[in-house]
Amino acid sequence: MAAPGQSWLTQDFGGDDEESDNDFNPGLEMGSDAEADDDDDQKPRVSAQRSGSASEDEPAADSKTNGKKSVSPVKEEREVAADEDEAEGEDDAKEEDNGEDDEGEGEDLNGNEDDEEDEDEEEDDEEDEDAVTSRPRKRRRRGLNQFFEEEAEVDEDDDELEAEEDDLGPEFIQDTHPDDDLPPEADQDDRRHRELDRQRQLQQSLDAEQEAAKFRERYGRRTTTALSNSSFVPQNLLMPDVNDPSIWGVRCKAGKEREIINKLMKKFIESQGSRNPMRICSAFERGDGPMAGYIFVEARRKVDVDDALTNVADVYPRSKMNLVPVKEMPDLLRVTKNRELEVGGYVRIKRGLYQGDLGMIESVETNGLEVTVRLVPRLTYGMDEDQARPGAADAKRKRPNNFGPVNSFANRPPQRLFNENEARKRHDRFLQQNRGLTGRSWSYKGDLYEDGFLIKDFKLQHLITENVNPRLDEITKLTRTAADGSELLDLESLAHSLRNTTAEGNYVPGDEVEVYEGEQKGIVGRTEAVTGNIVSIMVTEGELTGQLVEVPVKGLRKRFREGDNVEIIGGSKYRDEVGMVLRIKDDKVTVLTNNSNEEITVFSKDLREATGAGGAGAGASKFDVQELVQIDPTTAGCVIRADRESVRILDQNGSVTTRIPSQVQKIEARRNAVATDKNGSEIRVGDVVRESGGENKSGTILHIHRGFVFAHNKLGIENSGIWVARCTNVITTAAKGGRITAPSTDLSKMNPALQMKRPDMSMAPPQRPGRDPLQGKFVHINKGTYKGHRAIVKDTTAGEARLELQTKHKTINISKFDLSVVDTNTQNKTRYEDWIRNRGGPSAMRAGPGFSGSRVPDSGFGGRTPMGVMDGGRTPAWGTASRTPAWGGPGSSALESGRTPAWKGPSGSQTSYGGGGMTSYGGPGNHSTSGSRTPAWNAGAKTPYGADHGFSSSGNSGFDAFAAGSRTPAYTSSSRTPAWGGPGNAASAPTPAARPYDAPTPGISAPTPSASGRYDDDAYTPYLGAPTPGAGPQDAPTPAPGFAKNANKEPLKNNRLGFDAPTPAASAPTPYASGAFDAPTPAAGGPRYADDDDED
Amino acid sequence: MFFLRYLERDISIHPSFFGNSVHQRLKDQLYADLEGSCNGEYYIVCIMDIYNISAGRVRPGSGDAHFTILYRAILWKPFKGETIDCAVSSIKPQGVFCEAGPLTVFVSKLHLPPDMRHNPDATPPQYSNNAGDVIEKGSAVRVQLIGLRSDVGNMYAIGKMSSQWFG
Repeated sequence: MAAPGQSWLTQDFGGDDEESDNDFNPGLEMGSDAEADDDDDQKPRVSAQRSGSASEDEPAADSKTNGKKSVSPVKEEREVAADEDEAEGEDDAKEEDNGEDDEGEGEDLNGNEDDEEDEDEEEDDEEDEDAVTSRPRKRRRRGLNQFFEEEAEVDEDDDELEAEEDDLGPEFIQDTHPDDDLPPEADQDDRRHRELDRQRQLQQSLDAEQEAAKFRERYGRRTTTALSNSSFVPQNLLMPDVNDPSIWGVRCKAGKEREIINKLMKKFIESQGSRNPMRICSAFERGDGPMAGYIFVEARRKVDVDDALTNVADVYPRSKMNLVPVKEMPDLLRVTKNRELEVGGYVRIKRGLYQGDLGMIESVETNGLEVTVRLVPRLTYGMDEDQARPGAADAKRKRPNNFGPVNSFANRPPQRLFNENEARKRHDRFLQQNRGLTGRSWSYKGDLYEDGFLIKDFKLQHLITENVNPRLDEITKLTRTAADGSELLDLESLAHSLRNTTAEGNYVPGDEVEVYEGEQKGIVGRTEAVTGNIVSIMVTEGELTGQLVEVPVKGLRKRFREGDNVEIIGGSKYRDEVGMVLRIKDDKVTVLTNNSNEEITVFSKDLREATGAGGAGAGASKFDVQELVQIDPTTAGCVIRADRESVRILDQNGSVTTRIPSQVQKIEARRNAVATDKNGSEIRVGDVVRESGGENKSGTILHIHRGFVFAHNKLGIENSGIWVARCTNVITTAAKGGRITAPSTDLSKMNPALQMKRPDMSMAPPQRPGRDPLQGKFVHINKGTYKGHRAIVKDTTAGEARLELQTKHKTINISKFDLSVVDTNTQNKTRYEDWIRNRGGPSAMRAGPGFSGSRVPDSGFGGRTPMGVMDGGRTPAWGTASRTPAWGGPGSSALESGRTPAWKGPSGSQTSYGGGGMTSYGGPGNHSTSGSRTPAWNAGAKTPYGADHGFSSSGNSGFDAFAAGSRTPAYTSSSRTPAWGGPGNAASAPTPAARPYDAPTPGISAPTPSASGRYDDDAYTPYLGAPTPGAGPQDAPTPAPGFAKNANKEPLKNNRLGFDAPTPAASAPTPYASGAFDAPTPAAGGPRYADDDDED
Repeated sequence: MFFLRYLERDISIHPSFFGNSVHQRLKDQLYADLEGSCNGEYYIVCIMDIYNISAGRVRPGSGDAHFTILYRAILWKPFKGETIDCAVSSIKPQGVFCEAGPLTVFVSKLHLPPDMRHNPDATPPQYSNNAGDVIEKGSAVRVQLIGLRSDVGNMYAIGKMSSQWFG
């Protein structure tokens, strides 16, 4: 058998060789060899991975799978077997398998013979069967083998080599011959060469026709494909066609594909020795792609498939079995490269409660089917269960209800680490501690929790392993925290998992890069162009300087130097931060951010040289750091970090919250906001303040908002150096330099016009007097519990003095007007009022506060504070400026101007006033009704005093009136003055708007006179005077009481009543007045205020 | 590094200052504006002398007069790689803040001598090593600047002390 085969083969060989077809056929063989190699690489892997570890167990199956593509001998065998004898065929198949596996063994001969027999037969048949594409190839190959084995006895490798050489023709041989570095084979080569020549000659001897005929004979039935485009031939020849075994797709349980294949594998092996072995060629599955739920079985007949699949679980051969069209077969076997899963890698969960969550691979089962994943658990610890029916909870869970809390994706609990204490609360019975070394491992409801993480097994098909793109925040959640609180973030593995996903666009032409991996390691240069994953680099250092080198992105990293200004561009949460490079280690760069002074570590690929002077935040967020924002209607805060999607805010209570930008609103910063610090000094934005108490933080004020100061400390690391405190808890250390000495703002000093207006402005903020001269004085207490005691004044407020008693170790607060100042030398006592007045120029100023104090010993002025302050503020103006400027100004003010006319008219009518104190009363009465009474006053007032002119002329602003009133007493201490004061006040009272002010003022003025009178009379008079004005707040009453006191009470009352009648409020004052007599202080105080308020 | 340099400055003055003392006023303003200022590149330490004050030119519309002043000033410009002496102003777990005149230098813990450990319990907090070297607030240190950042009116630097001759 061998001989004919051989002869034929020789011939055939020659013939084949001469044919163009043969030219590529060997090539094909090469190609197919290569491909077979490929197949070996890939297919086995497929079978290894897809169909489990079959390849090792069963070479036969493997070889079949192999063979299938490159037209396996099995197929032929099968074919033949089908034609002739089945049993024999099977035997053959076995032999064939063996032969395929170990080529050139003893058995090989046998197999080969069989083959050749077959081939001969087929050859005889003129290949009327459709020539399977690869058949010639194989035949030839085998022929070659045999040829050389028998004739030359060359070993396998040589055979192949030879074949290749032969195929490539003489040129190749010539080329290789001299280069051939195998001297022992040199003669062989020579021989082969000769042989080839011989064949050539033989070929030529055949005439073309013959050749053509042979051709036609062989490939006539073929369409042109094989011949025409030779470049595709190898592939095409490999393609399965109808003669190959068919592939059936069989439904199976989705997700069980691989298991089924494994079972089939086992079954196949077992059945090999049995009486009826499985007659399938191969079985495979396509994983969980579009073909999930199918396995594919290759067999000659459908029955074989059925047989094979009976009694295999989870597969449904009874259901419709799809015959895969020949055309689609190759697609089924397309190899998709499978990524290796590594422990420590990241995956995502596809479905279920943890859908989309990031997990870390803890371990991978050897069969590659199951993966143990570490997750951050989402647990409710039973909090969502119906408390009333605790038993129902589990039953409910079984039911796939979409609205159940657990099943609903939207309502699933947030990711939190496992907390055994919480689990104990409701689910103690489900909780078990696992005895282990760590002691931090728990079993809860059948799941294992370690260090707070859920450790769970997942089927591979339930995991997303590609394009996981873990985000840094997710990763940090998954990161174990060491006992000392430091995070054990494995940047190494993170880098690895990220490197694979390196996207384009990370490199921009002009980046300075360094190659740290691969052949070109160490090259430094600038990127010139980026195409896909290849970066062209212009080398800037070393020998290759000036050359263009192409490097894959993988081995590339950007190069920075310490101190470089960089911007973070990558996908990390620090995106858009700008900072300075602190340290570089491999491709991890530590950056000190400009905004927050934080040190962060990122990958160099995520960095880019910052352009120019790095500004803040790169404008990614609509908020800027240090900006004042409104969190809710009562809470404001200062931005301490602004990212694209979130804003971190330090709120006024000192807590830090993270909001999304839409949740907060900007507040227009009030640049000129003023507040007072702990010491009462004024603080403004830009001042440097220090926190009093606490940490003694200091900083520059950024914002003042409703009593809170937001300050920034450049050196602060916490919260970007921003801190918050109450205004009253800070002490100013330095006012902003510009405010006091700003050279350009003193225009007003140079410009008299501006200066003129000043008095006006003095109305607004109260000018604080300097240090109270009373402080440190030795005083005698005139009234109250401590009457007769002596003390030293420690501190003063507007109306009160804080005294340290000499006899007792005690500090008390007492009204200044209850004091007499004791001259340390003479031991003379001087009443405070007098003392203060005698202090000369500034006394006027002091008079303000002094009076107010006097008037309301207790709370009188205190309650009124604002008013009182106003009065105080005003008083100096009167005193110092006299009337001249002040008059004009105030007179012109709207309030008073309105009155002026009124004044004049009534003044005429009220002449009565002028006449006597009581007349004035009549006046007040008018006031209450008409408000025009004041004029009457003027008349009266004026007559006696030149000073009062002010009233009539200037119009009567309350101030003026005061001024007049207050001054008058000073001028004359006569009894009249009080009267004056009264009228004066009354006059002032009319101004409606001014009333609140005026009212008190009269009070003030009243006391003064009275005080002066006091010397002569009793001490109380002033009081009386005081209350009255207090009553005065109502227009009518004011004057009335004032008068009453000054002149006569009885008439006052009468008058008042009459007058007061109109205004109900007016009635109130009277009693006061009377009350004032008895207990002036308190009575006067309380009611008056009330009145004032009413008026306001 | 310090430099002596001629510089120019434009100053506008409000009309109300026109008069005999306008030059004095210009000088005052110049000193007030510039001495101790930083333009992001250098600090003006001191204005030595004023060379020339141009004639004033009234600006249409505002009435301000515009003067150009030529002066000579001592500048201080810190450079990357420069070694400077400075005083420690605060100690943080992350590193040390030092002040060299107006310039704040941050020395990260990474760039402190490797044996220096942060010791938060000491008062004041300090960095110290076993050899008894202590860096605390007020210590004088020698620092090499490794990075500079300039903002509008300010400069900021990071430095290192890890080489042997620093610290």
